[in-house]
Amino acid sequence: MNDDKTIVCRCEDIDIETIRKLIDQGVTSLEEIKRITRCGMGPCQGKTCGPVIAREIAMKTGQPMEEILSPRSRPPFGGVLFQEVLEGIDDEE
Amino acid sequence: MITCDLLVIGGGPAGISAAVAAGKAGLKVLLLEERERLGGQLTKQTHRFFGSVAERAGTRGIAIIKDLETVVAQLENVEISLSTTALGIYEDGVSTALKSGKMIKIKPKAIVVATGAFEKFLPFENNDLPGVYGAGAVQTLMNIYGVLPARRILMIGSGNIGLIVSYQLVQAGAEVVGVIEASPKIGGYLVHASKIRRLGIPIYPSCTIKKAFGQDRVVGAELVRLDEKWKEIPGSQFTVDCDAICLAVGLNPLIDLLGQSGCQFKYIPELGGQVPIRDESMRTNVPHLYIAGDLSSIEEATAALLEGELAGLSAAKQIRPGQSLEARMEEVKTHLRALRSGPVGEKIRSGLSKLTGEALPTPSPRTNAIDELSRTGIASPANLAGVLPDEKRKKTRAYAVIECYQQIPCDPCVHNCPFGAIKPFSDINDLPIVDFDLCTGCGQCIGRCPGLAIFTVDETRDGDRAKITLPYEFLPKPVREETVDLLDRSGKCVGQGVVKSVLNTPKQDKTTIVTVEIHRNLVQDVRQIRVVQKS
Amino acid sequence: MKNKASVVIVGGGITGTSTAFSLAKRGVKDIVLIEREGLASGATGRCGAGIRQQWGTFQNCLLARESMKVFENFQEVLGTDIDIELKQKGYLLLAYSEKEMDQFRRNVEVQHQLDIPSRLVSCREAKEIVPFLNTEKMLGGAFCPTDGHANPFLATKAYAKAAERLGVEILMKTEVKAITVVNDRIKGVHTSQGFIETDKVVNAAGGWSAQIGEMAGLHLPVYSERHEILVTEPVNPIMDPMVMSFSYNIYCQQTPHGSFIMGYGPQNEPRGYNVNATWQFLETMARKAAWLLPPLKNMRIVRQWAGLYNMSPDRQPIVCESEIVKGFFMGIGFSGHGFMIAPAVGTLLADLITGSPLTWDVVLDLGRYDRHETIAEPSVV
Ligand SMILES: Cc1cc2nc3c(=O)[nH]c(=O)nc-3n(C[C@H](O)[C@H](O)[C@H](O)COP(=O)(O)OP(=O)(O)OC[C@H]3O[C@@H](n4cnc5c(N)ncnc54)[C@H](O)[C@@H]3O)c2cc1C
Ligand SMILES: Cc1cc2nc3c(=O)[nH]c(=O)nc-3n(C[C@H](O)[C@H](O)[C@H](O)COP(=O)(O)OP(=O)(O)OC[C@H]3O[C@@H](n4cnc5c(N)ncnc54)[C@H](O)[C@@H]3O)c2cc1C
Repeated sequence: MNDDKTIVCRCEDIDIETIRKLIDQGVTSLEEIKRITRCGMGPCQGKTCGPVIAREIAMKTGQPMEEILSPRSRPPFGGVLFQEVLEGIDDEE
Repeated sequence: MITCDLLVIGGGPAGISAAVAAGKAGLKVLLLEERERLGGQLTKQTHRFFGSVAERAGTRGIAIIKDLETVVAQLENVEISLSTTALGIYEDGVSTALKSGKMIKIKPKAIVVATGAFEKFLPFENNDLPGVYGAGAVQTLMNIYGVLPARRILMIGSGNIGLIVSYQLVQAGAEVVGVIEASPKIGGYLVHASKIRRLGIPIYPSCTIKKAFGQDRVVGAELVRLDEKWKEIPGSQFTVDCDAICLAVGLNPLIDLLGQSGCQFKYIPELGGQVPIRDESMRTNVPHLYIAGDLSSIEEATAALLEGELAGLSAAKQIRPGQSLEARMEEVKTHLRALRSGPVGEKIRSGLSKLTGEALPTPSPRTNAIDELSRTGIASPANLAGVLPDEKRKKTRAYAVIECYQQIPCDPCVHNCPFGAIKPFSDINDLPIVDFDLCTGCGQCIGRCPGLAIFTVDETRDGDRAKITLPYEFLPKPVREETVDLLDRSGKCVGQGVVKSVLNTPKQDKTTIVTVEIHRNLVQDVRQIRVVQKS
Repeated sequence: MKNKASVVIVGGGITGTSTAFSLAKRGVKDIVLIEREGLASGATGRCGAGIRQQWGTFQNCLLARESMKVFENFQEVLGTDIDIELKQKGYLLLAYSEKEMDQFRRNVEVQHQLDIPSRLVSCREAKEIVPFLNTEKMLGGAFCPTDGHANPFLATKAYAKAAERLGVEILMKTEVKAITVVNDRIKGVHTSQGFIETDKVVNAAGGWSAQIGEMAGLHLPVYSERHEILVTEPVNPIMDPMVMSFSYNIYCQQTPHGSFIMGYGPQNEPRGYNVNATWQFLETMARKAAWLLPPLKNMRIVRQWAGLYNMSPDRQPIVCESEIVKGFFMGIGFSGHGFMIAPAVGTLLADLITGSPLTWDVVLDLGRYDRHETIAEPSVV
């Protein structure tokens, strides 16, 4: 590991330079950055990287944090196996 | 499909408290906890909690949980489901959870969400190197699994978590090479800062981490000083050697589960970031959905317990109207307001006023300016002068020195003096004031102070010998007549003394009370002892 | 923001952005695209993004085939360096009855007229393509190796960037609130940022297109319906094609990233704009997926969500200018397959708006319902 990297998203291994480049290109919403880089689409659903990226966007664009951080979290949190869903199906259903 | 009156998600202090309150009000309650035991953050807290005695402050986090577990176990109508992770809250009011390899469905009449918080992350170069940990992970390894993550640790963040985890690391036998803090003053309670300073751990305010060094694991870090505008000062970089970097840079409420519930959020940095909007009774904008604890705002266990109770009572009131729960609800609200009324509650108060749109309550008269103490964690002679008795009194009897200079919501000392010598508080944020006419220097208060900020001094004897009694929480314990090193407030060795008594009964609960005979000139300097390595 | 535009496009999904690009490429100036949230925040960003050329009508095969040509040459056509992650590993359609098999046989004939390289497959061949496929009760199927999948967000982004480069103004976080119509002609659009004078509006508002119609005083025969979808955590590539069945009601594919995406058509879903996910979807989906593709049982579902299908009476798109309000154009009613044909739809809308003859001989106008000429596409989910 010789190149110094600042990791933003540990789930998908995305570094801050990638994020900064995108913001400079005008990609200034969390949702867009997420879609392009997959940042935040890993198991943690962006819990750790979301605020970090939001701060980068706020710093570069002056947008207020609350506009940037719109919660779009989607269940099932933490994930569930198909098998586990099947096991839980009630018989009477 | 499982049905119940109230579903509580999260078995930390807030969730347990909600379950207990609702259970006592006759509701059929189901409490879900992801981990294999109740307690949340408290299960990792081996230190004594600051806060209100009414909410068990002065007791260790792990002990508070034992108490709560006993209370909740006695309520037959409260069912606890451990190792159960809530997966989602859906629009039809059904929650799903993962339990024993099954996705179960629960349809309650109301829900209290008390999922706590998760740690913030910090971007810096090479932050993906093995050896970069969150404080939570370090605590879990150390306090639950008994594994020391590293030998030489750099702590990032001087909030209470950074300070307390540093202290715990030293207890576990590690070395903390420093605590760095971006702000010009220490973030956490100064008593906690003083506790680690006298162990010799440096605190660097106005400083941040630039990068970690290492090929396949951390071997050091480059730090840089910041100016008053938080900009890096060019050329001010310096490096430290360490084999781990521990991040304690704050918490964000864990709001995920509420994401598609229809619950509205607001970004309020004072409360920890994106927080659910709720009223004073902990009700969100979604009917039958309540929140409590760190999820609602990053605070302390006392607040979590009170908010949990309030949420439980609110739900009970809604589901089973006709019970007279209002009086207790008002009482809890009053407690919460009192808790947040001091200078350190300023942040929470301003956050809450943003949340509710209420006007700010009148600011507290005394505020904590950035003085030497809040920059260094070391009390100045002026600080000290304010808490000592006069020269005449010093000669007549032993006396307590309470080195608590910052108004924080904490009151165990007041409740633990057998002579009533610590003046009763009108407000939980009051500073302790010793009535030296009543104080006997008995030292009962020493082990009760969560900040380990109380010492007793006996300089009644003639000659150059005096005695100091102080709290000691490390291994090995000293023994009587042993010679120990004497450390001052910055951890510097200023001499040696002989141990005269060691009090270590179960009542002390591992905070050993040690009396050392030292030179009388040192009584106001020595605040820590070090057991000299026995060969 | 411009206060005057030659064309105002409502909606920043794949339809709106591809239309903006096609128009600008023909030299149309002063185009403004208005999007209420962000690019691809509607159905486009939530969809399965499968691209299928195996249709039953000549027209649909044509639109899909022409669109696939664009997807295949995306960087060149758009002059972009964005890689839309096109994967062409085919669509495997499964048949569970003789009737279905016969239909596939007829479809393949139509497809061959357009050189779409589809073929019928036996159960054994199907199993060669997807070895762990449960072929119980299955009679056979159809397979087209050049069908596939692309990243809908990147495709939209690329269209938007290319359009902007050609001068299109894209306004995000801007909502169209009202449309001024005088004497059955478009006069302008009221947005949350102010009024824009224009005589041409393109309704590319996806699930909300009926609302945009109302703003112009039109009652468009479309409605919206929630469709759910889920994604698993990524695993090594194990399944090449999209696996789809109309009668068993499922579609499932593995993305280049490794995650599986899947959904099915809901039964008795009420009309409306609700896009909340349900736990019932997880259960039904798990049953279906575990039966058809048994190894999926051990995979972890990491997210579920929903988007709106904009449904038309014959489940076929409506691409035309209103006959009542001049200057009101629409690309709506995609009924669940608007991503795959968006490049062609953009071209058709550009034809209509610039008054050029249609590039392809297709009938997608609103008038077809009055003429009772609905499109009889046999192969829809
Ligand atoms: C190092 C440290 C020191 C501290 N010291 C003090 C102190 O001295 N005094 C003090 O008052 N406070 C202190 N605190 C703060 C205190 O611990 C917290 O404020 C308190 O624990 C918050 O309680 P809670 O119930 O809201 O959240 P938590 O204690 O975090 O509990 C949340 C619980 O919810 C569970 N959970 C989360 N998601 C799910 C899910 N989907 N399904 C099921 N369960 C779920 C978690 O496993 C957890 O058990 C300290 C905190 C730390 C980290
Ligand atoms: C679960 C699911 C799976 C699917 N799978 C596939 C598939 O595999 N293959 C395929 O081809 N298709 C698929 N589809 C269908 C496909 O997603 C849509 O047909 C296509 O994305 C429609 O694109 P659009 O641009 O027309 O609409 P949208 O993407 O919905 O865009 C409309 C835009 O208009 C904006 N808008 C609405 N009202 C206003 C207003 N008043 N002011 C400003 N802006 C406004 C919205 O914010 C939105 O961004 C699927 C759809 C769903 C829901």
